[in-house]
Amino acid sequence: MSGETPHVCKDVAELLVFYACGEINEQERAAIEKHLASCAGCKAQLASELDFQNALDALPHASEELDPSGILLGQFRSELAEQLDEIEHPRSREVRGLGWLRRWMGLHPLWSAATLVLLGLVAGVESTQWFTGRDNANALAVVNVRPSGPHLTEDQLSKMAVAGVNFMPSASNAGARTVRVQLSAEQPVELSGSVEDTDVRSVLTYVVRNGERFDSGVRLDCLDALRTHAEDSQVRGALLAAARKDQNPAVRLKALEALRETTADAAVRETLLEALQHDSNPGVRVEAVNLLVRSIEGGPAGVVVTGGSAEIPEVPHDVVQSSAGSAENDSMQYVIRALEELQHKDPSRYVRMRSAAALREISVRSDQ
Amino acid sequence: MAAVSNAAGTDERALVEHAQAGSRAAFEELVRRYDRDVLRLALNLMKRTEDARDVYQEAFLKVYRNLHRFRFECSFYTWLYRIVTNVCLDHLRRRQARPEDQAPEIRTIHQEEGGTDFFERQREHRATLDPERHLLGQEIKAKLAAAMERLSPRERIVFEMKHYQGLKLRAIGDALGTSEETVKNSLFRATRKLRIELGVLR
Repeated sequence: MSGETPHVCKDVAELLVFYACGEINEQERAAIEKHLASCAGCKAQLASELDFQNALDALPHASEELDPSGILLGQFRSELAEQLDEIEHPRSREVRGLGWLRRWMGLHPLWSAATLVLLGLVAGVESTQWFTGRDNANALAVVNVRPSGPHLTEDQLSKMAVAGVNFMPSASNAGARTVRVQLSAEQPVELSGSVEDTDVRSVLTYVVRNGERFDSGVRLDCLDALRTHAEDSQVRGALLAAARKDQNPAVRLKALEALRETTADAAVRETLLEALQHDSNPGVRVEAVNLLVRSIEGGPAGVVVTGGSAEIPEVPHDVVQSSAGSAENDSMQYVIRALEELQHKDPSRYVRMRSAAALREISVRSDQ
Repeated sequence: MAAVSNAAGTDERALVEHAQAGSRAAFEELVRRYDRDVLRLALNLMKRTEDARDVYQEAFLKVYRNLHRFRFECSFYTWLYRIVTNVCLDHLRRRQARPEDQAPEIRTIHQEEGGTDFFERQREHRATLDPERHLLGQEIKAKLAAAMERLSPRERIVFEMKHYQGLKLRAIGDALGTSEETVKNSLFRATRKLRIELGVLR
């Protein structure tokens, strides 16, 4: 092709390159177009330039080839954030924020579940010393990476397992318990803080909510840690989820127990009713009975089965019916109906006894 | 890209000032505004994910460390791109000093026969009425990547910013800290070299 190209005017050749890519001013454009009208060589050269530019446009960009799904951006942002953490918190070779975990979880939703399989809780008095490293008083949680690798790879995270579960009251801060979450892997990671801490709470509630992925011992310990925080809506939501769907009855029971102080909440009552009617475990059903009675009385559940009567004393329907208060009449009537059904139909004799006792207790109190 | 910088102009100053005052959130917002372009440039220039990662991290960490020096004498975007292009040039120069390190991650073909899947895909996109011209186009594509490797780092970055980032020569000059005239020369040289390599122009 080049052999056939006619003469190209030297001073115009350079301008044609810029003409083809739109980098030319109006004056130059007018001059070129005037020249092209009378110069076949330059006209052919321009066509060739345009071909070249078109070929460039059609070529796939390396960025599209290397990152077709655009996942690199998120990955690089996350890595940058980690580096900035390092700069902002120089101690973070040993102590680093949990932000990376949150970011990582955001980037790898599928992996997050696997990561959290690794969580165990350990608490110790010595862990409180870690808190001193953070400038933000609200951000108590820290993650201690040992050995001091900068961060865990996906591969490492995938190999993690539950390390162990423990917690105890913090010596320095009476009442506020410190929880240490331990991710066991080739490089163990520990996260420490009180349940007040957002990161700690998020991890604990995640475990409780997604029980099928964690050992029941871990779930029970998480519940234990959350027990005193049922007022928090995030915690309560997790407790309700566990009470409804955890496979292990001990976990469901513990979740119900943790909801003890929140029976004024309609969602809690609904869950209690569901447990009462549908839970497969009699112990859980009994606990649901106790808490529902408590919710009606607005005080401690005073339902105690007295005496060892072989026969279950049946409470007359009309007695109970009259005890319904006006304030939450509907809700109470529903509970009473459920208890009545339970006292007759529950397969467990113990549950039937409890239900009858509960109805009796309700009627006695409403008579007073 | 110019449109991005214009649209962002109004609140950008406040954002930069917040970042300068130490707001990590403001800094990360600035990163999010521009890092897509930065990553694209890095990938297109470096042709390897690992190198692009290094460029991305190094560039934004430099921005972070030097942000207090930014005095609003130019747009933040221009200032950012000065840093980014310098990092890119450093990496390209370092790579040129290690010839064994130049193999691009993307598979390219140098043979005349041409037809790999990489270019086959292009055929789908570009229907052609002129088979001869079409073949010529395929050949150009097949050789371009290899030819790009033989440009100087500066020619390459200018060519890249012009053709793949769609920047105006003036903006490229600003980013490289040089005149539009110099950029024009680089672009012309790059274009001529590439066309000679590709056999389009004697």
